[in-house]
Amino acid sequence: MNAILSIVFAIGLSVLMVGCASTPEQNARVDEARATYMAIEQDPNVARSGAAQLRKAKLELDRAQTLLDEGADANRVDHVAYLAKRHAEIAMQQGKRADLEQEISSAEERRKQLMLQMKSNEANQARREAEALRAEMAALKAEKTERGMVLTLGDVLFDLNKADLKASGKRTVERLADFMKQYPERRVRIEGYTDSTGAAAYNQELSERRARSVQSELLNQGITGNRIEVEGYGEAYPVATNDTGAGRQQNRRVEIVISDESGSIDTR
Amino acid sequence: MRPYLSPTRTLTCIALASLLVACAGPGPKPDSELQSAESSIKQAEASDARRFQPVLLNQAMNKVADARVLINQEQYKDARHMLQQAEVDAQLAGARAETEKARRAVAEINNNIENLRQQLNSSQQ
Repeated sequence: MNAILSIVFAIGLSVLMVGCASTPEQNARVDEARATYMAIEQDPNVARSGAAQLRKAKLELDRAQTLLDEGADANRVDHVAYLAKRHAEIAMQQGKRADLEQEISSAEERRKQLMLQMKSNEANQARREAEALRAEMAALKAEKTERGMVLTLGDVLFDLNKADLKASGKRTVERLADFMKQYPERRVRIEGYTDSTGAAAYNQELSERRARSVQSELLNQGITGNRIEVEGYGEAYPVATNDTGAGRQQNRRVEIVISDESGSIDTR
Repeated sequence: MRPYLSPTRTLTCIALASLLVACAGPGPKPDSELQSAESSIKQAEASDARRFQPVLLNQAMNKVADARVLINQEQYKDARHMLQQAEVDAQLAGARAETEKARRAVAEINNNIENLRQQLNSSQQ
């Protein structure tokens, strides 16, 4: 009788020992949670930004394992494992988000640099354009006056007492047309002037005809009419004395006033 | 006549009673869990989870709805578990929505940078 009892006792003990020594209990949910946790445990972004959730994941994971080892109800183990996995997933998202936000701030820095560069490029571009314009104006021999840039076509560019442009005059107008094509916002005002020799009415008419002859040459060159104003001033506004031949020749002229970039021109 | 009261008996009785309470007792009503779950859902909604994580957000809301039914049936323990899950579901939905928004912001700013770069290149030529 005693022998049987001790055998039963021995079997019981060994069962207990096997139970204690065996590997930890397995559960798919717990394994899943552990895998999720392990994947982010060493992630520096998660460490920086998801520490609290990572810690919760670890606590729940340990709790799930303990419940499992204690042979708790499977539903309960599953539940705690579910919480553990979710916390790990949240921590992972927080880490990702922190990483992306870092990327955003460095991209914003890059964008700022690019915009600065663009601004300085635009400034350079504007400076280059202004220089080019000055060069063009200089090539046209336009002079800066209080009315803006003024290009003067001297008497020698016209046939004597006629309105027709000579070849050299046409070349000058051609350069002006090129300039106007390049700067489509610019307009011109063509003003004819004469000396005081002869009848005022004749001079008025001659000044208008000369101005119109420049206008038609510009139109020939393909400049649209709405960019051109024409005016004859006759003997008015002499630039030199009418008492000498040289003075009178200076007074016989066509002035072309070039507008500013908004297209406006000061009239006399 | 004194009742039969050995210490062993008493202890056994107490142990049995507490075991019974632990197993069968519904525990307290999970009011605070309900509150946490609902506030997590609100936060997720504030993070645009409805737009970026509608499935997971709905899952969380369904769990809260189920938990309410369980509470009415005084099945507090199951309700508590349901609410705990709803809370982490909602938090995850919110976190994923935030990640997605950040991802889009990165794409947008990179797009922006690419445009600027192209403009720069074309203006330099």
